[in-house]
Amino acid sequence: MINESVPERQGAALVFLFIIGNSFVFGLARWAGRDLWLSFLVAIVLALPLILVYGRLDTLMHGQSFSEGLHRLFGKWPSRLVALIYSFYAWRLGCLVTGNITNFVQAVSLPDTPQVVMASAYAILVLWAVKEGIEVLARFSSVMVIFVLLILLTALALATTEVDLQEFFPILYDGFWPVFQGAFQLLDFPFLETVLLVGLANALTTKKNSAYKVLIPGFLLAAFFLMLVASASVAILGEEMYKITFFPVFLAIARIDIALFLTRLEVVVGVTFAIGGFLKISVCLLVASKNLAHALGFPDYRFLVTPLVLSIIPGSQWFAKSVMEMNLGATKIAAFTDVMVQIVLPMIFWGVAEIRMSRVRKNKAGKPSGI
Amino acid sequence: MLIVIVLGYVVVGGVELFLWKERPWQEVLVYLLLLSATATFSVLLTIDAQLPVPEPLGTLWNWLQKLWQ
Repeated sequence: MINESVPERQGAALVFLFIIGNSFVFGLARWAGRDLWLSFLVAIVLALPLILVYGRLDTLMHGQSFSEGLHRLFGKWPSRLVALIYSFYAWRLGCLVTGNITNFVQAVSLPDTPQVVMASAYAILVLWAVKEGIEVLARFSSVMVIFVLLILLTALALATTEVDLQEFFPILYDGFWPVFQGAFQLLDFPFLETVLLVGLANALTTKKNSAYKVLIPGFLLAAFFLMLVASASVAILGEEMYKITFFPVFLAIARIDIALFLTRLEVVVGVTFAIGGFLKISVCLLVASKNLAHALGFPDYRFLVTPLVLSIIPGSQWFAKSVMEMNLGATKIAAFTDVMVQIVLPMIFWGVAEIRMSRVRKNKAGKPSGI
Repeated sequence: MLIVIVLGYVVVGGVELFLWKERPWQEVLVYLLLLSATATFSVLLTIDAQLPVPEPLGTLWNWLQKLWQ
C-alpha cells in the first residue's frame, strides 16, 4: 500500500479546482433563469449535509485507504463490487469531462481539429499526473488555484462595466419550482461529484478531523465563485441568452470591452477551463484506477493507469456525441445513477460505519478511531 | 486507420511492459486484457461513431413501465 499525504491547504485547493473544473463555463442552474442565485443558495444548503457525510466517512476511515475502509465495512466481495461501481462512475466522469473539453475547444476556437487530437494530448498529460499520484496533483492545485482565482476575480471585476442588475428582477416571478430544478441540477453537477474524493480519504486526512477542513472550505469557496460567475453572466447576457447559449460565461466575458483596449478576454476562461478540466480528469482517473485495483485484488494501482487513461480517448467521443448532447447531459436535473452514487450509497456507508463504530465503542475491543 | 490504432496500442503496451521492473503474471494478464478492451473500444468507435451507449437502467425502467401498463 502506498502512503500518500496531502496538507489541508493543498487538499482544499484540490477540492476547489475539482468542483470549478469543467463546470463553470456551462449555463449552471439555467432552469432557474434570473433566480439562479437562489438555486445556488438552495443547492449549497442541500449539499452541505452530504459534504459533511463525505467528511465523516473520511474521518471514520482515518489512517486507512478507501479500499481498506470498504473491506472492513462490507467484507471482501461486497466491497469489491462497491469499488467496481465507483471505479466505473469515476471513469465515466473522466470521459465526460474530457468530452466537455474537446467539444468546448472545437466549438470556440479549433473547429477543424478532430476532437481525438485534443483528447490524446490531454490523455498523455493525465497519464503522467495520475502515475505521479495525489500528492503531485495537490501541489499542482495549490499553485494553480492562485492563477484561477486571480483570473476569475479580474474577469468579474472587469465585467462589472457590462452588468445590469435589473436582469435579476422580478424575483421569483415563476415561483419556487424552477429554483428547485436549478438546485437539483447543481447538486448533480458539480457539487456532489465531490463524492469521488472520499476515494482519496487516506491521502486527504492527515489529521483526525482534517477531512472537514479540506472539503468544507474547498466546497464553499467553489460554490461561491460559481454563483458569482453564473450570476454575473445572467446580469451581462440577460436571462434568455443565458438559457439558450451553450457556454454563457464564455460569451459574457467576451463582452468585456475596456476603452476599446482590453478586449477578447474570453481566452482566460478557456485557460481556467483547461486547468480545472485537467485536474478533474486526473482525479477521476486516479480514483478509477485505485478502485479498480481494489476490485481486482491488487495492492498497487499504477499498472492499471495506462489502459484506463487511454480508454478516455474513445470514451470522450462515446458518452456525448455533440455539443448539444454534452450540454444537455451537463445541465440535466438529475440522473438515477448519479443519485445512487452521490447520495444513496454514501448514506448507506455512513449508516453502516456509524453502527459498527458504536459496536466497537461498546465492546471496547478495538480502537475507536477507525472503522 | 484501424491498423494504425491497433498498432498504436501494441506499441504502447509493448514499450510499457518492457519498462516494468517486475512482471507478475497476474498484473501482466490484467494489463493486457484491459489494453485489448480499450483497443477494441477504439476500433468499434472508429467503425461506428454513433455507437450507442448501453443503458441497463434505462432498459430496466422501460421494462417496468411496460409491466405497469
